[in-house]
Amino acid sequence: MKEIYEAIVIGAGHAGCEAALALARKGHKTLLLTISLDAVAFLACNPSIGGTAKGQLVSEIDALGGQMGITADKTTIQLRMLNRGRGPAVQSLRAQADKVEYHTEMKKTIETTENLYLKQAEVKSIELDGEKKLVSTAVGDIFEAQVIVIATGVYLDSRIIIGEYSENVGPNGFKNAKFLSQSLVNLGYKLLRFKTGTPARVNKRSVDFCQLEEQAGEEDIQTFSFMTASKPKNKALCYLTYTNTKTHQIINDNLDKAPAISGEITGVGPRYCPSIETKIIRFADKDRHQLFLEPEAMSTNEIYIQGFSTSMPSDIQKVMIHSVKGLENAEIMRDAYAIEYDCIDPLQLKPSLESKLHDGIFFAGQINGTSGYEEAAAQGLMAGINGALKLESRPPLVLSRSDAYIGVLIDDIVTKGTLEPYRMMTSRAEYRLSLRQDNADLRLTEIGRDVGLVDERRYKRFLSKKKKLAAAEKVLQQKLKLTEKLVTFFEKNGENPPKNSISVKEAVKRSNLDVFKINKEYEIFKGFSYEVLNEINLITKFEGYLKQQEEDISKMKKIEKQLIPENFPYEKQKGLKIETIQKLAEVKPLNIGQASRISGVSPADIAVLSVLVKRFKEGENAKV
Amino acid sequence: MNDTIVAISTPLGKGAISIVRMSGDKALEIALSVFSCKSQPQPRYMTLGGLDLGGVKEKCLMVYFKTPNSFTGEDMVEFQIHGGVTVARLAEQRLIDAGARLAEPGEFSRRAFENGKISLDEAEAIVEEINSENEGQLKAALSSSGGKLLEKIKSLQNTLTELLAEIEVSMDYPEEDEFELVRDKVFEKISEVSSQLGTLLSNAEEARYIRSGVNVALVGRANVGKSSLLNALLGENKAIVTATEGTTRDVVEGSADFKGVRFNFFDTAGIRESSDNIEKIGIEKSKKALQDCDLVLFILDGSEEISENDKKIFDLIKKPYITVVNKSDKKRVLPAQTNEISVSALSEENITLLKQKIFDSVIKNEVDFNGLVLTNERQISHLNEAKKLIDDVFNAKGESLEIISMLIKKVWNELGKITGETENEDIISVIFSKFCVGK
Repeated sequence: MKEIYEAIVIGAGHAGCEAALALARKGHKTLLLTISLDAVAFLACNPSIGGTAKGQLVSEIDALGGQMGITADKTTIQLRMLNRGRGPAVQSLRAQADKVEYHTEMKKTIETTENLYLKQAEVKSIELDGEKKLVSTAVGDIFEAQVIVIATGVYLDSRIIIGEYSENVGPNGFKNAKFLSQSLVNLGYKLLRFKTGTPARVNKRSVDFCQLEEQAGEEDIQTFSFMTASKPKNKALCYLTYTNTKTHQIINDNLDKAPAISGEITGVGPRYCPSIETKIIRFADKDRHQLFLEPEAMSTNEIYIQGFSTSMPSDIQKVMIHSVKGLENAEIMRDAYAIEYDCIDPLQLKPSLESKLHDGIFFAGQINGTSGYEEAAAQGLMAGINGALKLESRPPLVLSRSDAYIGVLIDDIVTKGTLEPYRMMTSRAEYRLSLRQDNADLRLTEIGRDVGLVDERRYKRFLSKKKKLAAAEKVLQQKLKLTEKLVTFFEKNGENPPKNSISVKEAVKRSNLDVFKINKEYEIFKGFSYEVLNEINLITKFEGYLKQQEEDISKMKKIEKQLIPENFPYEKQKGLKIETIQKLAEVKPLNIGQASRISGVSPADIAVLSVLVKRFKEGENAKV
Repeated sequence: MNDTIVAISTPLGKGAISIVRMSGDKALEIALSVFSCKSQPQPRYMTLGGLDLGGVKEKCLMVYFKTPNSFTGEDMVEFQIHGGVTVARLAEQRLIDAGARLAEPGEFSRRAFENGKISLDEAEAIVEEINSENEGQLKAALSSSGGKLLEKIKSLQNTLTELLAEIEVSMDYPEEDEFELVRDKVFEKISEVSSQLGTLLSNAEEARYIRSGVNVALVGRANVGKSSLLNALLGENKAIVTATEGTTRDVVEGSADFKGVRFNFFDTAGIRESSDNIEKIGIEKSKKALQDCDLVLFILDGSEEISENDKKIFDLIKKPYITVVNKSDKKRVLPAQTNEISVSALSEENITLLKQKIFDSVIKNEVDFNGLVLTNERQISHLNEAKKLIDDVFNAKGESLEIISMLIKKVWNELGKITGETENEDIISVIFSKFCVGK
C-alpha cells in the first residue's frame, strides 16, 4: 500500500523544515521524512544564527513568511548587531541560539502545522512513474507525490574523521543516508564530494573564565523577525581567547596525523573556514588565531570553541586545547571532527531550484554545495514555495539579485556552480546598499503575500509600517525656520547654519545630523517607531548613492527582461565559440542577464547571443 | 531608457569626409551641448554649424533623425566633418566627454535589429559584424604597444583588488580583530592609483596627438632625390595633405595612409651649411623636425660615393631610421650599407616595400611612442571614466566604509572593462588567500 501526498520533503534540517512548512502552509499535504526525529533543525556546528550576510538572509526568510527568524528570536540567548561602525548595509544581527531549544521549538512548530506529517525514515530510493515520484524507505514503505524536495544536508554517504578513526555516520554520530546517493546517480544526477568540520565542545565548569575577555550581548535591538513583539533577553556570555605559539608547535609536530593534510580526506573543503591545521600551514606568519567560546544551550554545560575546527586524533586535540589560555584544564565532552559528504553540482538546477533533469524534483540546502544554516533555510523556503507553485500550476518565484540576498545566493550557485561549500558574504551582493537587513520586509513582504505565505496579521502590520513611513516622509518636507535655536542647534553639532530656512530633509542630509538628533531638538516626528525613523534616516542620508544603485539595477533588469526560451538550440548557433556554447547549454540561463554572469562568457558573446535569441524567438512566433 | 552611444562610422583616414554618429535618448541633447548653429535642427535636414573641439571650432554639417525614423530606431545625430583621423577622433572624444559612451562592437546594428529596423535574415551578418569588430579590438589591445598599456592597467586593477579584499574582509568578518582597517591607508592607496591613472592618461593624450599620424622625416643632402621619393611615397594620397591645426609643423609635405596608419612626411630640404638668413630659419625648422619626428628616412644617392655632407647629416639623426638608397635605376657606385633598402623614386621600384618597412618599424614598436601608439580609443575612454570615478571616491571621504567600497568597486569594474576581468570571485579569492578567516 502506498501513501499519497502532494509533496514529500526528504531531510528535516534547516532547508527541509522551511520547505515542508512552506508547502503545508500553502495547503499542500506534505510528508517530511527525517533520518532521526532527534536531528530535526539540529544546529550541528556553531550554536549561532545570523552574522554578516546571514542575518540579512534570516530577515528575508522572515519577510517572505518563512520560519527561521521567528524560531531564532524565540530561542536567542544572546544578541548583537555586527558592523555598527561600518554602515547600515553591512550591519547584521548575530544571535547565540539555544541549540536544544531551537530544535525543540522548530520540531513543535512542524508537529503542529496542519497538512504537515513528520516521520522518521531513511529513504532508499526515488523512482519516477510518469509525473509521479515514488519514494521507498529502508523499511519498505512507499510514498507517492508529485513534488519532491531533496534536502539531505551533509548526510549523503557521509563519513566523519577524527585522526585515524573514521566512521560512516552523519554529523554528531547520527545515522547517515546510505542509499540515496546511488539512487540520485541512477536518476542521472552528477555528484560532488565536499567536506567540512566542527570543533570540540568542552565542559563549562572546567574553563577558567577569569583569564578571558568577556563578550556580552546588546539590549533592546532589532530582531530577525518583523513579527517578534518581545525582544529576546541576553542570558549568556561568550568569551574570547587565542591560540599561541605553543599550540602551533603541537599542531606542526603532529601534521602527519592530520587526515586532511595526509590525504586521507579527499573532499573539497571551504576556504573560509579551514581547520586550525590548515590555517597554521597557510598563514605560517601568524603567531595566534582568535577563538570564541560560545555556550551551546542554557540546559547544558557544553561550550563550543569557534575557530578550532580540526580532524586531529583525539589525544592530540586534547593537548592542543590545553595549550590555550583559559582551557588549560578543559574537559573535552565531544571531539572535533571533519565530515565528508555527497552533494550535487548545483549547475544541474534551475533558478527555481527545480532540477533540469526531472520535473518536480527540487533540491535545497547543503546538498546543493552550500554551507550554513541560513543559506540552507533560504533555499528550503524557495524550493518549498516553488514546489507549491508547481502544484498550483503557477510560474516559479525567482528572486533577482537586486531583490534579496536569497536571489544572489541562488543565482550564484545555479549560474556559476561552486567548487567548495558556498558561504554567503555581503561582498557577493553587488546591490548591497539596497539589500539591508532593516528593509527586508519592505523588499519582500508583498512578494510573500502574492505567493501566499504572508498571513493577514503580518500583512496588516506591514501596511501600517508603510503608512507610517509615508507620514514620516511628509515630515521631511517641513521647513525649519531660521531662528536662533536653529543656529545654535547646527553649531552645537558642528554644522554651518543655513542662510535661510531649511527643510528637515536637507538637515538630515548634513553629515553631523540625523533624524534622531533633529527629533530630539524639535520633536517633529511624533508617534513613530524606532524602525520607521531609522528607515527614513537611512534612505535620506543615502539618497544619492541609492539612486546610483537603482540606475545600475534598472540596467541589469533591462537585460534580464530578455528571456531565453527553454528550447533555444544552443548547439545549432553560428557565431559563438564552442566553449561558450557548451557553457550556455549547461547552465541554460533564463535570460540574457543570467547568461552574462556565467564565468568566461564575454560581453561580445552576450551581444551575439541576444541577436540570436531574438531571431529564434521571432522565428518561432512566425511559425505559430 | 537607452544610453547614448557614439562612434566614427567611416573608415579612418580615408575619404574627404568623416561621419561621427550617435544613437540614444540623449543624442540631440549631447550634440547641441557641443555644436552651435543658427537655427534649431529639424529632423532629416542638414544644419550647418560649428562643433567645438576644445578651443577649435570645426565647421561641419549635422543631421538629426528623430525616433523611430532612424537607422537604429532611436534618436540619432550624425556629424559630417572633414576627413582625417585627428578631427574624427577629437569629435568622438568631445561627444564622450559630453555624455555619450563609446559604442560596443556592432552596437548600432544590434540596436537597429532589436528595434526591428533590420530584418531577421540579417541576424547572421550582425553576428559577424560584432565578432569581427570585437576581434579587431582584442588585437589592438594585445598589440605590442596596447599590450604594455594593458599590463599597466592590469596591475592598477590588481592593486584595487587587494584593497577591496582588505575592505571587504573587515566588513564580512567584523569579529576578527586583526582585519581592523585603517581608513587613511585606504585613501593612501587610492591616491596612488589615482596618480598612476593620471600618468597613463596624460601619456595617452600624447598618444592621441601621435595618432594623428606617425611623423617621418626625410633627410639627405641636396639632390639625393628627396622630393621625388616623397612624391612616390605619397602617390595618389597627395590629395589629402593636411596642415594640423595649432601645431608648428609647417614643414609637413604630405600624409599618406598605409594599412590604416597615417604617416606624415616631413621634407628637410634645408639641411646644409648656409649663410642666408631665410635659409637659416629653414635649417632650424628642419633640425627641429628631425628632433620631433618618430622615424627618419636617411636618403643616400646610390649612384655616388658617400660624401662629408652625408656623414654630417647622419650625425644629426637621433631617432630610429631607415637607410634608403635611392636611384636604383642608375649604376650603383655606393658601397652596400647596413640594413639598407634600395629603391628608385623614378621607376617606383621597391616603393611598396619601403612603405611596408616604414609600417613594420611602427608596428614592431621600434619607434617608441611611450608605448602607446596603437592603443585604441576604447581603452582611453574607459581610463577617463575610471579617473572620474576615482574622484568620486575622494569626494566620499567622510562616508561609511561600505559606500567607499562601493565607489572603489566602480573604478575596479571600469578597469575591468579594459582588462576583461570583472568577476567578483577574483576579489573573494584574494580574501581567502590573503586573510585567515574561519569559524
